[in-house]
Amino acid sequence: MRPLVIENHPLAALARRWSRHTELTPHDRDALLAMPFTRKAYSKDGYIVREGQQTTECCLLLRGFAFRQKLLSNGTRQIISIHIPTEFVDLQNGLLGTADHSVQSLDRCEVAVIARPVILEVASSYPNLRMAMWIDTLIDGSIFREWVVNVGRRDARARIAHLLCELALRLEQIEAGRHGMFDFPITQEQLADCTGLTAVHTNRTLQSLRKDGLIQLTARTLTVLDWDGLREVGDFDELYLHHQAGTGAR
Amino acid sequence: MLPPQSVLEHMNPFEHPFAQWLEQLEHFGRLPAADRQAVLDLPHRLRRLDAGAYLVREGDIPRHCAVLAKGYAFRQKLTGSGARQIMAVCIPGDAVDLQNMFLDVSDHSVQLLTQASVADIPREALQQLVRNRPAVGTAVIAVTLVESSILREWVVNVGRRDSRARIAHILCEFAVRLETRGMIHDGGFELPMTQEQLADATGLTSVHVNRVLKSLEVDGLISRRRRYIHFDNWRALQDVGDFSRRYLHVEDHDIIDEAS
Repeated sequence: MRPLVIENHPLAALARRWSRHTELTPHDRDALLAMPFTRKAYSKDGYIVREGQQTTECCLLLRGFAFRQKLLSNGTRQIISIHIPTEFVDLQNGLLGTADHSVQSLDRCEVAVIARPVILEVASSYPNLRMAMWIDTLIDGSIFREWVVNVGRRDARARIAHLLCELALRLEQIEAGRHGMFDFPITQEQLADCTGLTAVHTNRTLQSLRKDGLIQLTARTLTVLDWDGLREVGDFDELYLHHQAGTGAR
Repeated sequence: MLPPQSVLEHMNPFEHPFAQWLEQLEHFGRLPAADRQAVLDLPHRLRRLDAGAYLVREGDIPRHCAVLAKGYAFRQKLTGSGARQIMAVCIPGDAVDLQNMFLDVSDHSVQLLTQASVADIPREALQQLVRNRPAVGTAVIAVTLVESSILREWVVNVGRRDSRARIAHILCEFAVRLETRGMIHDGGFELPMTQEQLADATGLTSVHVNRVLKSLEVDGLISRRRRYIHFDNWRALQDVGDFSRRYLHVEDHDIIDEAS
């Protein structure tokens, strides 16, 4: 399996991903790579952003995974999204100020911390980078919408299958997996919090997906054994991931 | 491309179909005068449409972006098993499909909740505006980010709140959003949604929604006259709904409290 390390310049992978949906000139690319940043590492469950915090920076995931979550007054937690390397976990904090949710490290992760004025300056001086940033936020929004559908109207088996399909495809897009095998260190409790289920229900559902020969999920690895089968159970259509996005922007 | 409407029609900025949208764009900072004008001058075609009309269908490749000048709309998706989930409600002044400017194919449908007046902007015109005017570009991104924040809260709402909290939460959300557009009257508002639509927005059945609305009424939190919802106890309703307005990114004042 290929390790999730970004070669060369830490921001080069972001430039590569953005080029897929927005045409970047060498000038844009240079500006992107010239953004000053500091590296910061987090251990499992470490807080990258806390709800209510006044934030002055944005974090780009370099290695590992992170998730957005909210704690409720009834003591439960809802995970709102999972983030993979080359994604900003809190671009909204560059523009909106107070963090309306928390971001935590899923396992271990490393981020590039970029100051808000840097983000704003790049967004204002480089139209293509502004577009790329915006397309990212639009795709984020599309994924959030799909999560509302997932927890709102799908049964437990479909919810879990849908989530696993989404993660597999997103990881594939950044070339983080091969032959349906992905390094993905998620716990059953975290999966439950992504799908609005209990841990017991999640465990039972995973077992049934495994028994049907659709997936294998160990502590660190997700293997999709039957892609078509998993898609069907998960009522999954990847349109909302907009991996073909950008054609309209040119 | 559509021609800009005559300047004469736009003498009163409050009657301009983009007036409320512009106000929303300026929420995080006033735009330079030339940028404001450029927004108001966007070419567009006004359409009056009936409740139920589709603005965008899942799978469409839209050529226009629609701004709701008047009326309400909702975003929805059907699951493979035929169930419907409403993911967002758009209120007057919202641009309903900015995402279609750059994303390839529409990933969901947008349908009108009420009769509405809709301004269609050709997507090339909007792309040019965002490209050439950084302040407008940043404002549009900020509005998109707030929309995402609301979506996140909806994931939480259907994922981890019980039915009573879900309904209370959605009522509080509407109240605060409508308040920002000056649409709260006498401590309440007109909710242009059927119980079935409320159910589809909260992942419940309509029978369940009906029961919850009645219980909120019996407990003295709200009262209803047809579709008009009055907040009898705004603070308690927020508690039941586990509601904090932080995710809406609006100022922290409580007009409803004064009125109730």
